[in-house]
Amino acid sequence: MSEPAQPAGHEPRQATGGQPRDAALEGIDIRKSYGGVVALDDATFRAAPGEVHALVGENGAGKSTMIKALAGVIRPDEGQIRIRGEDVRLRSPEHALRRGVATVFQELTLLPRMTVAENLLIGREPRGHGRIIRRLEMPDVAAQLLAEHGVESVDAGELVENLALAQQQLVEIVGAVMREPSVLILDEPTSALARREVEWLFGLVRRLRDQGTCVVFTSHRWSEVTDLADRVTVFRNGTDVGTQEQISEEEAVRLMTGRQVSTAYVEPEEEPEREVVLEARELSASGLHGVSLSLHAGEVLGIGGLEGQGQRELFHALYGLAPADGEIEIRGERKRLHNPREAIAAGIAFIPQDRKAEGLLLPMSVRDNLTLPILRRVAASGVLRPAAERGAAREMIDRLHIDARRPGQPVGTLSGGNQQKVLLGRWLLADSHILLLYDVTRGVDVATKQDIYSLILDLAREGRAILFYSSDTEEIAHLCHRVLVLREGAIAQELQGEISSEEIIGASFREETHA
Amino acid sequence: MLERAEPLRGLGRSAGWVAARRQQIAAQNAPLVVAGALLVAMLVIYIVLYSVSLGSFPGAFEAASITNHAMPLCLAALGQTLVILTRGIDLSIGGMMDVSNSLAALKLHGGFGVEALWTVLILLIGAGGGLLNGVLVAFGRLQPILVTLGTFSIFQGVALWILPSPGGHVAGGYTNFFLDPKAPSALVWVVILGLAWAVLRRSRLGVNIYAIGNDENAARANSVPVLRTKVLAYALAGLLAAGAGIALATTTTGGDATAGDVFTLSSIAAVVVGGVSLFGGRGSGVGALCGAFVLTLLVDVLFFANIDPLFQPFYQGLFLVVAVGASTLLGRHLVRRR
Amino acid sequence: MSATTESQPAPSGLRTILNPDRRKIIYGFVAAIGLFIIGEIVKPGFASASGIQQILEISSFVGIVAAGQTFVILVGGIDLSVPWVLNAAAIVLISQSAGSNGKLAIGIVLALVLGLACGIVNGLGIVLLGIPAVVMTLGMNGIVEGLSLGVTHGLSCGGCLKPAPTALVNAMTGKTLGIDTSLLIWIGIIIVVSFVLSFTTFGRRIYAVGNSERVSFLAGVNVKLVTVTLYALSGLFAAAAGIALAGFGGSATLGMGDPYLFQSIAAVVIGGTYILGGRGHYLGTVAGAIVLTTLISVLLAKSAPDYARDIVYGVVILAILLLYGRQRSEA
Repeated sequence: MSEPAQPAGHEPRQATGGQPRDAALEGIDIRKSYGGVVALDDATFRAAPGEVHALVGENGAGKSTMIKALAGVIRPDEGQIRIRGEDVRLRSPEHALRRGVATVFQELTLLPRMTVAENLLIGREPRGHGRIIRRLEMPDVAAQLLAEHGVESVDAGELVENLALAQQQLVEIVGAVMREPSVLILDEPTSALARREVEWLFGLVRRLRDQGTCVVFTSHRWSEVTDLADRVTVFRNGTDVGTQEQISEEEAVRLMTGRQVSTAYVEPEEEPEREVVLEARELSASGLHGVSLSLHAGEVLGIGGLEGQGQRELFHALYGLAPADGEIEIRGERKRLHNPREAIAAGIAFIPQDRKAEGLLLPMSVRDNLTLPILRRVAASGVLRPAAERGAAREMIDRLHIDARRPGQPVGTLSGGNQQKVLLGRWLLADSHILLLYDVTRGVDVATKQDIYSLILDLAREGRAILFYSSDTEEIAHLCHRVLVLREGAIAQELQGEISSEEIIGASFREETHA
Repeated sequence: MLERAEPLRGLGRSAGWVAARRQQIAAQNAPLVVAGALLVAMLVIYIVLYSVSLGSFPGAFEAASITNHAMPLCLAALGQTLVILTRGIDLSIGGMMDVSNSLAALKLHGGFGVEALWTVLILLIGAGGGLLNGVLVAFGRLQPILVTLGTFSIFQGVALWILPSPGGHVAGGYTNFFLDPKAPSALVWVVILGLAWAVLRRSRLGVNIYAIGNDENAARANSVPVLRTKVLAYALAGLLAAGAGIALATTTTGGDATAGDVFTLSSIAAVVVGGVSLFGGRGSGVGALCGAFVLTLLVDVLFFANIDPLFQPFYQGLFLVVAVGASTLLGRHLVRRR
Repeated sequence: MSATTESQPAPSGLRTILNPDRRKIIYGFVAAIGLFIIGEIVKPGFASASGIQQILEISSFVGIVAAGQTFVILVGGIDLSVPWVLNAAAIVLISQSAGSNGKLAIGIVLALVLGLACGIVNGLGIVLLGIPAVVMTLGMNGIVEGLSLGVTHGLSCGGCLKPAPTALVNAMTGKTLGIDTSLLIWIGIIIVVSFVLSFTTFGRRIYAVGNSERVSFLAGVNVKLVTVTLYALSGLFAAAAGIALAGFGGSATLGMGDPYLFQSIAAVVIGGTYILGGRGHYLGTVAGAIVLTTLISVLLAKSAPDYARDIVYGVVILAILLLYGRQRSEA
């Protein structure tokens, strides 16, 4: 293992406690509470230089809080952070960066209306006479930086807001890596990345590790954890419950949840063909080329394919979010969907991935969020009927086991998993019989994912029709009766029966095959 | 580890790349280009109407008149630009112009020394007022529109206290130096303002201002000193507003403690016509200068088109709405075509 | 950086009923009462029954304009066209009713239609053309100002200088059931507006849109319709205030609407409505309007010079903001 880079003036101290290796980054006996809620309870995390260390756990287990403490975003109530064996009190992420700890969070810190170059070079722009920034040179300098890190697909002169989310994430990662940190923390780094970019990231991480950098990352995707991590630390209930080099998914889930949870998917039952609830013919829009599909009651129809092949456009077209040529028929009736209102009236519901920005009104109450599309039903001539509203809300809260002390509490105070349930509850309340689920399990922890899977299959059994897209191919493979694989905006292949994720991935790359 | 990074050396450039980059920059600065086009169009219309009306082309005198007339709005718009770029807004610019207008009319005569001293003092007062705004917005974490609404009122009151009724004058020598009524020397000032903007844009402070307007949290994460930058932006706006008030006093026959009021909203109009985004982080001060000239020329255009002056606000309002509406529609159209 | 995904403790029952928004409304009324007390100390009789009524009556004009302003601010907008829509409505009323009680009804209707039309145009410009509210309503103000001045030749046309019909004047300056009629009208407006905000589906949609246009849109709310309606209402209320003021003052004058821009916005802010939308209530605005008017009256009672009023206005706004206007950090 190579020596980690030593900043001038900092003598490394031997980490105390007889640790097997010198630690690059440590959080020792960290305690952190928010109000009355304990987020970290004597949690300890140690990462060594020259290793890739995964931090896993359910949402609410404390791993994000730990990451924030290590990154300098929050200050622990008690406990000690050490960088290369030296005690530090981190005041801010910038302070942590100066001590060699760079963090890439899911929320990007890019400046959207400025170019990639301006973003990467901020604070270290090329200067000319009189210390004036040479703006014309900047894209070239930045392009070279990107190339040095293996990123060729991003135009350094382009505005960040014009980049796809995945490209933005690449820029963010390069921005952190180019500071040559001794510790790189990546919080859910692959959430927006497609396969090719994930491979690039893995390569980058391995290179950094081989150079002696310590890389810490969190992920909900088990395959990534096994592929990439040298060691895994599991968090549960605000503290660390185990650090191992080899750990199976079952073992990890057991540690994460404290109980045996089956990680096997619940497979859908084989249903005979039921009535066609939604028929789309030759749907075409920007990014969509003549997609036709039939969706049956009781069916979970998966939409597979590489990221950005038209899945989002398809969902948007079916919900009235984008104008599309072609025909849509709901229960045999021809419909033109110009906006979500018309889609909702036709019985369609859309559940997006980003529940905070697109799903819920965080400061408003659970009750208000649940009844938003069906206000007319709980009102008489425009005047709300509180009793009817309360009843409707109570019905959903009970049915979905939403953990909210009172229906009047702001939905922003609920945990992520419960927020997702409120979102689903809204559409169940609206009696939507066609559900468009777009990547609803992204960023959701294992246990809640299981709940959602069961819920989806229950809903299908009830006779609802579900269109399901997920960035996790395993999910699509296991949950769906059928899968349509999209490639460049058109259907490349239809898969039925026992579907494997390999089949889906294969179809994503191949030309259209005739079954 | 990397606190003071070595600025990265630039590469050698090939002609093809430079051309492609320039094209990209032009596309990214479309609103500025539009503002420039509007200015040219407005100039052409003005010249045409003038010559049709009076049978001769406008000359140095007219150029001087227009430039001098536009100066107050130019300065006010520039100040407003700085604030709007940080995703704020400064409603107190008109009020600060009232204060400096009043002070200028009272004090700007009596020889070079006195006039120079008072010029500096007035500018400092402007910066001080802006500083108040900046501190309240940055450290008080209050909404800019409301803070500056409050300080607008305060400054108006102070101006009325300084100059309860219109009067005073600015020394002739002072006027002739800065805003010569006979020759368009003020164009030099405009050019200087443009250059100053270009320098600011390429400075640490300029980058910080744009960064904050883009996304404050992201800016902070990129080590931008958010508080300090905001305070500076508002302070500079106050300083420019004070300058605008002096310019106003110089071009009019006397001081008036309410003459600056209307500039709050017209500075916003100039900024918007100039292509600066009200959401922050995008736009150029040069655009604001174009916008100021466009709006000033509009008044003259209306005059030569024999529009009843009472109808002026109608055309100004209509112009503002149409200009912004058209540019928004154009922007949307361009995005769709990509 | 990111909002915590962990659960936060739900506020207890009492704290929800007395949530920060409602508390601000209460503070507003407390402040108004406090000012009345100060006024009484400065000039005995200030807070007598008739004194209070007088101040409430004057507040009513701000309050009516501020009703419209509250609506648009709740969805994150603003209406800068209030001054001249008010003025133009007053001019239309005066000139169309031409001093005669018989034509009063038509005068009122036309004035209200004018306000409605201006508001609708504002709303359409904002939602269809994407023009920012500041720009659109600012432009509209100029447009209406220009039209008013131009068409009436600077308010010197014959019809504009007539007095308001006596029926209107009597209504606005007289009493009904022992209370000033204009105050009764305002109370009626308060009841209706508050009811709409708190208890109707339209009101719920207003708050939804104010919190997030995107989420509301995806949940089937007709965001464009809601927005245009609110600007239309703002225009309507501005026109109503113009009619009321024409009756109260007996005529239409130039610039009569100018003070109401600042005052309407200030009233909304003092009342605790969040300038970015989604939080607040008209009851708070009512308190804000009363606080503002009482403040001026106290100052007038102390024979403070004109400029002092402006300075105090500003200081009060800043003080209120510092007290409870703190921007929440990005959640």
